[in-house]
Amino acid sequence: MMNTETRPDAYFRQMKLDYDATQNSYRHILTTMENALASGDYNTLWELIPYIEEGEGQLAFQYIGKTQRLLRILNILRLEDHYRKPLFCQDCSGADALWEKYMLTLFAFRRILFRLSEESQEEAAVWLRNHPVSHFAAYIMVQGELIIPGQAFYETLAQIYSQTWSDTDMQQFLAMTGLPQST
Amino acid sequence: MNDRKFTFIFCTNDSLLLEESIHYINHLIVPDGYETDLLTVTDAASITEGYNEAMQASDAKYKIYIHQDVFILNKYFLCDLLSIFESDPLIGMIGMVGYEKVAKDGIMWHSNRAGNIYVSRPKSPYPDLSGYRYNAAHEGYDLVAEIDGFLMATCQDLPWDTDRLDGWDFYDAFQSIHFLSEGYKIAVPRQSHPWCMHDDDKMPTLFRYDHYRQIFLQTYPQLLGRSCTEIYDILRRQD
Repeated sequence: MMNTETRPDAYFRQMKLDYDATQNSYRHILTTMENALASGDYNTLWELIPYIEEGEGQLAFQYIGKTQRLLRILNILRLEDHYRKPLFCQDCSGADALWEKYMLTLFAFRRILFRLSEESQEEAAVWLRNHPVSHFAAYIMVQGELIIPGQAFYETLAQIYSQTWSDTDMQQFLAMTGLPQST
Repeated sequence: MNDRKFTFIFCTNDSLLLEESIHYINHLIVPDGYETDLLTVTDAASITEGYNEAMQASDAKYKIYIHQDVFILNKYFLCDLLSIFESDPLIGMIGMVGYEKVAKDGIMWHSNRAGNIYVSRPKSPYPDLSGYRYNAAHEGYDLVAEIDGFLMATCQDLPWDTDRLDGWDFYDAFQSIHFLSEGYKIAVPRQSHPWCMHDDDKMPTLFRYDHYRQIFLQTYPQLLGRSCTEIYDILRRQD
């Protein structure tokens, strides 16, 4: 018998088959993040990275868009932990608070990029100064999100975080972004 | 009906995104003599139900149905919409991204795309946003068969199909066909700088999508693979 199933038909059939496992893996990611943040058990958080990249969490990554951002946040945290920087999740009591900080930081970056008005830019800069993130977080977010960074944008970020980042962090940020480094 | 009014209509479940989207709306230049307002529906059973409720509640001639994760970048957006609507009274709806034909498998993005949307790695650089001005006469627009639902601007009120659609997918395809079936054109401006950013986590969640795709395929088998011109002819013959 001829197989008349189209590629979309096959995709949606597979999606249906994967539905329960996807929901379970997504729930596992959220619950683990919630518990790890509440208890400060960050080793459990790092375990989520291979879970999403190579384990059952791949389904959540494949079908649920938010998982891609959650993985980005986890990679930021692991890098900050490795280099003993203040963690992006400090002051975040749970997964929701962490998500909110990520999104508001992203929104502030975009307000600076799109320069809607002076007020809008200033409001964003104040928010970023009051809720600082590491140079790793700033760089990874800009690279991974819907942002087209130019030199002026990176210079503004460097200015905003000049009181927060150490000289070494700043030099590293400037090197990563291709900005001229001070001597 | 207030001919000099725009209403932005959201079905929303995320106050964070909504507030940010409104921040961008608040920075739009409002054409002289026009006013704007905003309607948010927070507890809709479906997007068609929410949009119908808002449509009936608004007296604005121009309604902009917009997702909460869409940020309007072109500050002259309202002026530019007007210039397109006023260029041809048969234009009933405008989208930012549209499709020349109804895709044979019903999945819009499998057809040739018109319009533009902000992406982080465009094929060619966007012009500087602060100096960007759309010119309908020079840049023009494309007439399409369907538009993407992340932003649908209308100057005619046609009810959204709550009978067939009780979820959050495919309302854009059905509404596009509805506009064509009433004889209206659907336009998508050519945008050298995209007018909007759609921050949908880079991937929509499609778990219920196929259910409505099957309804669409069964309802409009004769329109699959057809352009808007062909669709007018087919629908006219049916009448």
